[in-house]
Formats: sequence, C-alpha cells, structure tokens
Amino acid sequence: MHYYIVDQNSLAVDKFEKLQTELSGLLAEFKVAGEISRVTPLRGVQELVDMASQRGAKTLVACGNDDTFNQMLAALKGRDFTLGFIPFDENSVLAKILGIENVFAGVKTVAGRRVEKIDLAKIADNYFISFLEFGVMSHRLKEAGLWQSLKLLSSEAKAFSIRIDDSYSVNINGLGGLVANIRAKSNQSEKIANPTDGSLDLLILERMGKMQVLAHKKAIADGVLEKVPNTTVIKCKKIEFLEPLGLPLTMLGRVVAKFPATVEIIPQRLRMIVGKNRTF
Amino acid sequence: MDKLLDNDLNAQAETVVGPSVKIQGDLNSEGNIKIEGQVTGKVKTSQSVFVIPGAKIMADVMAGNAMVGGEVQGNLKISGHLVLQGTAKILGDITCSVLRVEDGAQFSGKCVMGASNGNGKKAATEVEPE
Repeated sequence: MHYYIVDQNSLAVDKFEKLQTELSGLLAEFKVAGEISRVTPLRGVQELVDMASQRGAKTLVACGNDDTFNQMLAALKGRDFTLGFIPFDENSVLAKILGIENVFAGVKTVAGRRVEKIDLAKIADNYFISFLEFGVMSHRLKEAGLWQSLKLLSSEAKAFSIRIDDSYSVNINGLGGLVANIRAKSNQSEKIANPTDGSLDLLILERMGKMQVLAHKKAIADGVLEKVPNTTVIKCKKIEFLEPLGLPLTMLGRVVAKFPATVEIIPQRLRMIVGKNRTF
Repeated sequence: MDKLLDNDLNAQAETVVGPSVKIQGDLNSEGNIKIEGQVTGKVKTSQSVFVIPGAKIMADVMAGNAMVGGEVQGNLKISGHLVLQGTAKILGDITCSVLRVEDGAQFSGKCVMGASNGNGKKAATEVEPE
C-alpha cells in the first residue's frame, strides 16, 4: 500500500489546494492511489509515519518540500519502507537530485517504481540523503549577489579541526565546505557525491583572492568545490567536526547541528523511488 | 609510464590534501591521493599518490604508483611506477618496480627494485648509496 504524507509547509493555501487536487487526480489516473494524510499542527510527520507503519504501508511518499522529506527520514527510526518524493516546490534540491521536476513527474515516477538502493547519512538525530554545509557555504551563495559573494569568499579563514574515520585528524585554515552524499550536480560516473558508493565526501574551501572568486563563483554556488583550486577533498565514512566550537552545520539553510558534531554514512540503507533524470 | 600517471593526475583524485592542510594519522584511501599540504603518519592506497611540489610528507607511503615533486621523509613502497620529479626530496628507502628520476631530484636512502615488487622479496636490483 502507498501512503502519501502531504505537507503544506510555507505554501499559500490556494496553491496548496490546487496541488493537492492535482495530486489526487494523478494518483487515480496512474493507479497508484493509496492513503493520503495531511500534516497538521496536531498530527506531524512523525505521527503520520507511525500511522503508516501501523497500517502496514510498504511505500511512503513525501509530498511537499525538501524539509518534508527530511522530516520523514528522521521519523523512520529504522523501519523499512520504500520511499518516494513528490515536490510541491519548484526550487526543491531533492527534486533535481531525484530527477522529478513537478507533481506530474512525481506521480509518474511513483507509478514507474524504479527503485535504487542509496546511502543514508546521519548527523545527531537527523538523517539526510543530500548534503550539509558549514562556514561560508551555509550562506546560500547561489542567492547572494556578486559583492556579497566577494565579501564572503575573501573573508578571514577559520581554523577547522576535523577527525576522519577514527584514523587521522585534519587541521585546515579554510572558509567552509560541505559534506555530500548526493548533490544537485552529482553524476554516477563522478567519484564525488555518489550516493551508492557507501561513502561521504568532505570538501573544504580555502581562502581565495578576488579574481579566483570571480572565476569560480558558479562552481562554488553549485557546491562543485572540487573544481576550485586548492580545495581539500576527502572520501570517508565518519567525520567528527571538532573545532571551531559552535559553528553551525546547515541542511538547505536550516541549522541541524553545531560543532562538535559527528556525521556518519549508513551504506545502501534506503530504497528510494527515483526518476530517470536523476543525478546519480 | 608517465602517461599513466599523468592521466591519473588529471583525473579527479578521490582524496586531495590542500596546501593549508595538516594531516596527522593514517591516511588510507581506495583511490588516487593528491597531496599539496603536510601529512604526518602513514599514507596508503592501492592506486596512485601524487606529492605536489611544496608538499611535505613525514610518513611511510605505500601505493600502486607515485609521482613525487615535494618532500618525503619516510619509506616509499610502490608496487608499480615511481617518478621523482626535479623538485623531489626523498629522505628514506624506496621500493618500486619501475623508477624514473628527473634532473635535480634529491634522494638519500636505499633503493630496491624488481618486477614483482611491493614486498621486496623478489627484488632484482638493490642500490645503496654511500
């Protein structure tokens, strides 16, 4: 049975109602109808996942924005579901990663049921399949203007202390970076951010001159930091962020933890319904 | 030989240690490693290691192939090809099957070479500097 968790989030009521109607029609049309439950102040994503489990649902589909999906991941608590995602937000990073552009493509993908086993990453009590950002990368550089980017990327470097795989420690003066399991620009043939390789990729940006910022602004904004000279790249299974204390780690702009924090990968943990235009 | 290493060098390395990075401990990888900073401990991979000019390694290095342009204080155990660039400075023993030393490279240590090298058991040639 399919169980759809529908979340309005920050959508306007009329737009949300329209998308919900479209969703119901398409689910019937593609013969993947199931139980649809809406997130309310009294019944959050956690309660709905618990309910899906009690009803014996095998497929859990988050219908909303990236945050809806991330909340659903956190609510799984080791229970075994096949997961899907139907985006209500045209700027969804997850939608790009999974190759699902809109509600129609989302329902079609659920009906097509192309399932991939992918790695799941964990930080504190949060789970994620995409990426975390820290330091200057938390500032949503894609939305920042040129002067703002120049100012941020030529600012003073921070002294990071990070332990990798309980094996070695890394000390670096850098601006910030990201921990990637998948990102919107991933590619299965690439070695970085491959969600099926059982590893995380830690990318740390060093301080740059203004000309270098201008030359690599797009790569930095896209999170393709390995294209920027002097970037440190480490493939690993466990990352312990030790210093600077209190520095936030963000997921799509939302703070999920602060230094010190540990990020780990759980290989091939998720069964995910993906579109044919997925980035991995 | 160089083509093989050049291709690896131009490809995206799985691990890149940037110029301002200091690593302490055992750096193990399953892919290519490119070192531009400092490493103290051990470096191990079955693929290629590139020590870029300016990099400093105070560690034993075990790898499939290696191209060294920086400074290594430690033993190099390379099962395949080893290239010492003109800027290389090695203070330690070398074990490899194919060695190329460019003009200007500095090497102080023992060199063991052979076709089925890596463990040094079937070494064909052993050169010990004075």
